[in-house]
Amino acid sequence: MLQPIWGDLAIPFTLLVAWLLGELGQRHLSLPRITSYGIVGIAIAIITHVSKTLFQVDDLWSLTLLSQVAFGLLLFELGYRINFAWLRHNPWLTLSALVESAATFAAVFCVARFFELAPVPALLLSALATATSPLTLLPVINELRSSGQITERTLHHSAINCVIAIIVFNAVVGYWVLANAGDIFNAAWNSLIVLFVSAGLGVLFGVILPRLLDLADADEKQSTIAFALAVTGLILVTHSLHFSPVLATLLFGLIARHYRNVRHQAQPNFGVLGGVLIIVLFVHLGSRLQFDTLLSGALLAASVLLVRFVVKGASLLAFARLSGLSLKKGALSGAALMPMAGFGILLLELAAQRGLAFTDTLASMCGLLLIVDLVGPIILRRILIIGGEASKGN
Amino acid sequence: MPLQPFSKSSPLSMGVELELQLIDPHSLDLTGAADDLLHLLERKPFPGDVKPEMTQSMIEISTDVHNDYDSLLAQLRESRDTLVAAGDKLNVRLAGGGTHAFQHWSEQAIVDKPRYQQLSELYGYLAKQFTVFGQHVHIGCESANSALFLLHSLNRYLPHFIALSASSPYSQGEDTLFDSSRLNSVFAFPLSGRAPFVLDWGSFEDGYFRKMEATGVVSSMKDFYWDIRPKPEFGTIELRVCDTPLTVERAAALACYLQALCSYLLTCSDPAPSEDDYLVYNFNRFQACRFGLDGLIVDPRSNRSQPIREDILQTLDKVQIHAGRLGCRPALDEIRRILAEGNHASDLRRQYAKCRNVKGVVDAAIDAFRGKD
Repeated sequence: MLQPIWGDLAIPFTLLVAWLLGELGQRHLSLPRITSYGIVGIAIAIITHVSKTLFQVDDLWSLTLLSQVAFGLLLFELGYRINFAWLRHNPWLTLSALVESAATFAAVFCVARFFELAPVPALLLSALATATSPLTLLPVINELRSSGQITERTLHHSAINCVIAIIVFNAVVGYWVLANAGDIFNAAWNSLIVLFVSAGLGVLFGVILPRLLDLADADEKQSTIAFALAVTGLILVTHSLHFSPVLATLLFGLIARHYRNVRHQAQPNFGVLGGVLIIVLFVHLGSRLQFDTLLSGALLAASVLLVRFVVKGASLLAFARLSGLSLKKGALSGAALMPMAGFGILLLELAAQRGLAFTDTLASMCGLLLIVDLVGPIILRRILIIGGEASKGN
Repeated sequence: MPLQPFSKSSPLSMGVELELQLIDPHSLDLTGAADDLLHLLERKPFPGDVKPEMTQSMIEISTDVHNDYDSLLAQLRESRDTLVAAGDKLNVRLAGGGTHAFQHWSEQAIVDKPRYQQLSELYGYLAKQFTVFGQHVHIGCESANSALFLLHSLNRYLPHFIALSASSPYSQGEDTLFDSSRLNSVFAFPLSGRAPFVLDWGSFEDGYFRKMEATGVVSSMKDFYWDIRPKPEFGTIELRVCDTPLTVERAAALACYLQALCSYLLTCSDPAPSEDDYLVYNFNRFQACRFGLDGLIVDPRSNRSQPIREDILQTLDKVQIHAGRLGCRPALDEIRRILAEGNHASDLRRQYAKCRNVKGVVDAAIDAFRGKD
């Protein structure tokens, strides 16, 4: 009798609990809200692992689309915060982002091969490890209303290394399809065409929407609604056509920023809507934890984390003074680039939906990284406070 | 700490200090970038000087001592270009303007320096509300008594500088209806306003400063936030009522207008200053803040009033010859242009009318400071 009612209420109830814990954790323990949301998600994963009846796996999948919209909004916001002019005025910054990405990719590939991962999973893992997850960066930055060099550099590095990660990831997928099926068309479709069409759609939206906002003379609130609808639309289109919503939404943000009119800016974090969707996203991410294979890649995961920390930290330190930064802030910015799992999990999830089933071993490893990633927001929060960039939380 | 002896300086030499806004190009809000910017600027010699101000989102530049318009403007432009280039390297924008159009005072971080932390503790929220940006102009005086004479002779011209420099019509996201809302923030401080009417430095030192010091209320001249104050260590008087203009060109013009006016006042062509001049001081000051060049200025001797714009036009005629002698005639052309086209407060309001958003106002201020058309 209770089961059907609980079945309907399980997800909303869980989201409410996540919200409450997020507020309590933030107030009493100074925990970033997303950490509490992720913990609730992991609790679901544990419960589902112990008892299959309390949460239906199908119910959990109802969160997936909403999560992907949240993911898209965050990627759009990341793109929207990128200032091309800065990358032009400060070429050392651009070079540091390129070197940091390339060095991370190479180092993680060596580690993966050392652990005897096959070349293709090793390349995919290296691509995922190149990216700094904006899923962790933006919510914490918005929560603290932080601004300054660490904040800005972390976001710009994240945008650059995410774009590189997506391109390499799709290129490797193309290679994998070619190697497995020997089908050149299919391989090209899964790499080049996916990339170009996704990028093209993102650019198209980025060019059109600012003009529509001009036409409608929308204020900030209405612009936020329009951007949110456009991001959702872009995700649905790319999803149904099996393109990359990740690249499309990121480029949409980048181009929309380029053509922006200050009158039509989106609110930070997409206002209240963003607040709701972030709960969904992090509960969803936590719930994706797979216990069966959790420990199988533990040593590899720990090594990847260590190597990323060393390589990204060293790269930013090496370029700190050249790019106009103190060594202290260079080191703090390097440490702030650590979060990765959320982005990786969603990239793999999207690849799985395209029918690319090579990702199970990587997904289990990302699960472990996800647990570590829940500590990431706490560290990031400390970094921004130590760097004197947080308006709130001091 | 006793009052420092009044240093010697070259009469009618001048120096300019500008408090500038540090702005995040994404949100166009103020950003706490002072430490990062100063860290970068330390690596190369800076034309003039640059230092932190009360909050992390402010920075103050000052010029060397100059005698004419061309050299002052050249150095201001050089400072501006150095700052803009450093800002570009750090993704920080700089702007003039007496206020930031929509910043929230409660979000400003006080700079980690003992003096500013003490002020913050003493003045509470007033210290953060002091996130306003002014131009200070120093004029060299040959003696301490000459400084006090100039300080009090200038009192009736003070509204000119408020109206000409006014660039703070917006505050906390709203049009305040004032051309210079910044001075309202300054007025909240207990030791703001006018200096006591004393024309002799000995009396000022013994009869006023020492008594005030004994009360424990002040320990140096820095504790007075007067509209014009003597600066004994530089041997100057310091005019503090101007909003930071949107452009360095206007900042240089205002300084040179003051220089020419001081030169004129030193000829004693005006009646000698008296305490009664201050009867209408606050009224005139309010008119200039509220209505800018359209405000009324009342002459306490003749009891006649006229628009500030007219008063400035008449004064320009009086100081023209002095400007020529001092090499600052182009500055007076710029002052005439302001009278014809309006001050920067009206420029910002025009900008708002065009884009109907305070962010557009900040964007325009950034472009103006860079020297873009």
